[in-house]
Amino acid sequence: MQRYRWLILAVMVLGLVVVAGCGGKGAAPSAEGPIKIGGIFDLTGATSDVGVPYAEGVRAYIDYVNQHGGINGRKVELKEIDYAYDKNRAVEAYNRLVKQERVIAILGWGTGDTEALKSMIAADKIPYISGSYAESLADIKTCPYNFLVAASYSDQAKAALKWIKDNWKGQGPPKVAFVYNDTPFGRSPIDDAKKFAKEIGIEVVGDEIVGLTALDATPQMLDLKNKGADFAIVQGTSNLAATTLKDAKKLGLKTQFIGLNWAADEKVIKLAGPAAEGYIGVIPFAFPYDNAPGLKTIKEYLASKGQKLEDKNQKFIQGWVSAMIMLEGVKRAGNNLTGEGVRKGLESLKDFDTGGLSAPITFTATSHRGTDRIRLARVENGKFVYITDWISCR
Amino acid sequence: MRLRFPWTTNCGLFFTRYEEDQAFLPSRAAKIKVLCLFALLLALPWLVGPYPLRIASQVAIMALGAVGLNLLTGFAGQISVGHAAFMGVGAYAVGALTTKLGLSFWLALPLGGLAAALVGAFFGLPSLRLKGLYLAIATLAAQVILDFAFVRLEPITGGAAGLVLTPPSLGPLSLADDTVFYYVTLALTMAGVIFALNLSRSRVGRAFMAIRDRDLAAAMLGVDLFGYKLRAFFLSSFYAGLAGGMLAAYTRVVTPEQFTLDVSIQFLAMIVIGGLGDVLGSVYGAAFVSLLPIALSYLAQALQGVLPQMVNLLSACQTALFGLVIILFLIFEPQGLAKLWRHIKDYFRLWPFSY
Repeated sequence: MQRYRWLILAVMVLGLVVVAGCGGKGAAPSAEGPIKIGGIFDLTGATSDVGVPYAEGVRAYIDYVNQHGGINGRKVELKEIDYAYDKNRAVEAYNRLVKQERVIAILGWGTGDTEALKSMIAADKIPYISGSYAESLADIKTCPYNFLVAASYSDQAKAALKWIKDNWKGQGPPKVAFVYNDTPFGRSPIDDAKKFAKEIGIEVVGDEIVGLTALDATPQMLDLKNKGADFAIVQGTSNLAATTLKDAKKLGLKTQFIGLNWAADEKVIKLAGPAAEGYIGVIPFAFPYDNAPGLKTIKEYLASKGQKLEDKNQKFIQGWVSAMIMLEGVKRAGNNLTGEGVRKGLESLKDFDTGGLSAPITFTATSHRGTDRIRLARVENGKFVYITDWISCR
Repeated sequence: MRLRFPWTTNCGLFFTRYEEDQAFLPSRAAKIKVLCLFALLLALPWLVGPYPLRIASQVAIMALGAVGLNLLTGFAGQISVGHAAFMGVGAYAVGALTTKLGLSFWLALPLGGLAAALVGAFFGLPSLRLKGLYLAIATLAAQVILDFAFVRLEPITGGAAGLVLTPPSLGPLSLADDTVFYYVTLALTMAGVIFALNLSRSRVGRAFMAIRDRDLAAAMLGVDLFGYKLRAFFLSSFYAGLAGGMLAAYTRVVTPEQFTLDVSIQFLAMIVIGGLGDVLGSVYGAAFVSLLPIALSYLAQALQGVLPQMVNLLSACQTALFGLVIILFLIFEPQGLAKLWRHIKDYFRLWPFSY
């Protein structure tokens, strides 16, 4: 009997080995089957107000491509994970996508998590288009595989500041304040913008910190009033911008608010109502009601799904464009479907036309800033109306 | 030849000395079992891919933290809802020491543990006067204060952006390699588990349990209440600090949101689900709580084709599900997974006579 015990134990260990062995290893990227693209989105976290439509846009574009025969004859598969704006979970999601699902490129989301991932992205050679346009991600030395599909937050803020300077008619230098949230995303453009303001002769009068999910910004707005800010640049998402605008209106502020990319979309108007009138947004992507030719494609695609373009917002288009640029890189990689191949593919984009959905995108081997141009739009009668053409701070 | 059911590990064992009775592994069968388990854990990198291996490392780190909390809450009976914050102290200490002072990770790790232990012991000071709910609130204060410090002590902690670590190396081997990292974590967690197991059958462990069961009676028996409570806090936070340091090396970022109240509650969930006052139970609990969200996200992915809305729903349900699991455990098996495992073992051991 003593011998049998050994035998049984041996069988047991062997059984476990087999079970574990079968369940384990992720498949290597293959030349057959669908092309796998990863998605790390915020569907339930602090920025889910803009994260959900963005993810929808990405899904829609990939579905659209598959409807039209995929890329080079292969379907595209999106492996998406919700990370709830939690860096820890983003790291986990990233590892799963790269090591288990073996995706060749990733569409990511936040500033903090993309920055946390950048060393891994560089080591694993995974082309990464983030929803974040933080200046730090444009540093080609530390982020050789990150691509920015819109003007960086710093460039956006600078372009807005330049517009302020050029259109200022009051006496003395214009007084500008910054309203932002205390995350890497919120803080990202502030230092650069302040430096630029000083250079071009704009007075910076203060900083106001408002939480991403805050429901009250009265103290901050009171402070802004006391400081007599003529302009305030808002870096946050729709919720933050709406809260800011509502409380500013309540207190009768004369300040002109200018929201950067994520703080300016239709949702702000919906949430803030009349308080949003006159609000200026930095707009790097088209609105669904623009008449860009690229919108026709989206409209047709949505019609095939029984949906309407009017129900979608600008963040949907932003997701659509991000996926479009990534898949263009994948297409140009041809048969060299590796991280390096896709990077080369993306770097061959020159004045790539997204159908007017964004400024033309150019990547080179030395710069992954897709563009530095944005448009400004002002809310008039509950709708963003462009007040400038594509402008940049340069 | 002794005729015996092969699973039995302690049938027919008669001890004649206390040392034998209290031995770490009382029988040969137990030794064999542990050796097999150990071999399996060592062989894991060859059995599974890199992603499951990372999950295994994560479970090991969480298990280390959970064992620490179990020493404090399960053995010494002192509740703590600030465990994640103590873990954060360790992580930030390791992060700051390696990135700002350029210290070696291997030196920073024990220092991080020590820093967490000192902070933990400091916040354990009120435990002499406070019990139960009051102590829970006092440790909650620790959590809130430390959370605040993580965000505001920018020169040390990097504020909201946190610290980004470079992966430490072990001679020619880099901890960026999943296999190397796994072995390091495994070794550390095993050491932690064995230490805790040994502690629980030592004088200190018995003192902890005496305090837990009735502190007044323990004091009458000559147990130094204050000293042992502080020791429990010190030890528990030391474990948390080590786990935090390893977590820092694992995610390579240290940010405030990794160490929030939610995580403290998760640790409490781990030891409740695993089994209060059971060292191995905390390991089971840590595995359960760490694997549940991953299993859920796989489920969501599998269901995506059928029910597209499930993705959003399931990720939102996660927290609710934790709550449900804890309630179910409290009702049906208050002694947790450890007891459940024992029931299963007993069933097979006693089969076909269930008594």
